[in-house]
Amino acid sequence: MASSRIQQVKDRIERQQRRRRILSIVGVIAVIAATGLGMRLVGFTVAELVRQFPVWLSFVAEFLNPDFVDFTLSSKERGIAGLDGLWYSLSHPGTIIESAGATESSGSVLVAAAVTTVVVGFTGTVLGFPLALLLGVLGSERVTPFPFNFIFRGTMSTIRAVPSLVWILIYIPLFGISPKSAIFAIATDTIGNLGRLFTDELEEINDGPIEAISSTGANRPQTVIFGMLSQVSSSFIAWTMYVLEINTRIAISLGVVGAGGLGQYISLKIQFGTPEAYSQAAAGLLMVVLIVISVELMSSRIRARLRPGESQGSSVFDTIKGLFDADKWVGRSD
Amino acid sequence: MATVTATNVTKIYGEDTVALNDVSFEIPDGEFVVLLGPSGAGKSTLLRILNGLTQPTEGTLEIGGEEVTGTRSDIAMVFQMHYLVESMSAYRNALTGALNRTETVDSVLTHYDEADKELALDALDTVGLLEEADQRAGSMSGGQQQRVGIARALTQNPSLLLADEPVASLDPRAAQEVMQYLKDAATERDLTSIVSLHQVNIAREFGERFIGLREGEVVFDGGKEDLTMDVVDDIYYGDDTTDQGVEQIAGES
Repeated sequence: MASSRIQQVKDRIERQQRRRRILSIVGVIAVIAATGLGMRLVGFTVAELVRQFPVWLSFVAEFLNPDFVDFTLSSKERGIAGLDGLWYSLSHPGTIIESAGATESSGSVLVAAAVTTVVVGFTGTVLGFPLALLLGVLGSERVTPFPFNFIFRGTMSTIRAVPSLVWILIYIPLFGISPKSAIFAIATDTIGNLGRLFTDELEEINDGPIEAISSTGANRPQTVIFGMLSQVSSSFIAWTMYVLEINTRIAISLGVVGAGGLGQYISLKIQFGTPEAYSQAAAGLLMVVLIVISVELMSSRIRARLRPGESQGSSVFDTIKGLFDADKWVGRSD
Repeated sequence: MATVTATNVTKIYGEDTVALNDVSFEIPDGEFVVLLGPSGAGKSTLLRILNGLTQPTEGTLEIGGEEVTGTRSDIAMVFQMHYLVESMSAYRNALTGALNRTETVDSVLTHYDEADKELALDALDTVGLLEEADQRAGSMSGGQQQRVGIARALTQNPSLLLADEPVASLDPRAAQEVMQYLKDAATERDLTSIVSLHQVNIAREFGERFIGLREGEVVFDGGKEDLTMDVVDDIYYGDDTTDQGVEQIAGES
């Protein structure tokens, strides 16, 4: 039915496809084999998983009954355990405000711990931002000529190579194991991560506007600001929001090594090892979920507003009204 | 094989934005119809309703005696900005026209029916791109990409071919070529075609019948000999004096 010309092209394409298909099958098999080999290397066996599973299950079951006795200072003092601790505190908002300011209890009271975690994540991001911006912009090949931009890229790569869990150890001689060290660890980490995102973003911009600005006789810094940074300003803010989300999570994991906040609360409780302590740790985990999701929703709302077209022409009042729109929070908009 | 019958089609967006107002026409099988009209006249809305992407507020639209209630595989559309998957070859893009006849897993593995593969290559042959079949769509010129778009529509094996300003973003020569391929494909396969166009000269060259829309209403419906300059002026500028007409055009661009 098909003419011979069509048949020829079809055969040619099918040959290529067959070759490509065989290559990709080989590739997938290689990856699976490497994964299996890796699992064997660390001594994983299905038998061990089956043997230990009931033990693990009963451990996890302890977490099903969260105990909010440590939610606020006053629920802790009065020993109001279980979910009642949560209801009591929510019906006495004064106690929440009181606990929020109790920074010295950041490792033992949930509200204070949550505040510490959020503060550490936020201030760390803000402190890291200016250097991230500077190094990120200077690391772009379009701003700094080729061999020299690698000075800045290299600096950021080095910072990124060291995890924040190690950065905090480096800052301990300065501030001890404390939220202060955590802030600086996160700020340092932000320089590497956010700076890299900035550099990548700058590689993708259009040449047109840069040429247009430089053809007006603008000097070099002006060309960078009006021709390049103007193209990426809203995506820079969006990336910063994204890094803020990640930093909140890092703040929790830094707490696990003792730098205060929710991470410290949970790790102390789990180390304590009694069933009650596990229930309290479960309450801490719920707080973590709550905090992380709040920060994420907040940042995704802000990022959505930065996308062109969505917020045009809406007044300040609409903006504030939009904050209370549940549909928008979950990203459902028409 | 499709006759298109529009009966009192009205489309109102939101509260009172009338995009189409009481539009009626009948297109016999195999006719090549050109829609003319200024931006905002309702050409795109009409094509979207024909394609089943939107529903009319009032009135009915029948294609092949069957009312249009949603997108159908026997109605194919060529878009202004071609909307190809740029990372895939022209061949695989053309094959996407056969998706409605293929299981998801099979389509991901490019495991189409032999007949569909031949159909796709035949469609690429129709638009003169058989030898370029394995090229990446993204590396092709604008005119070639639009021709791949036509091939994709043809692979759908449609009975009605729609095109929404298919040559608006092409240079005059490429526009001429693409329209020639589109017309040839329609003639060769005896397809009913409805094409919206901006360029009056191209429309006159390829159209058999012309429907002029202005502010959502049909202001002209006739053949090539009836489409005089006065009629074109009327479609684009209405009853206004020429001066105002030119201003309107300038304001829109």
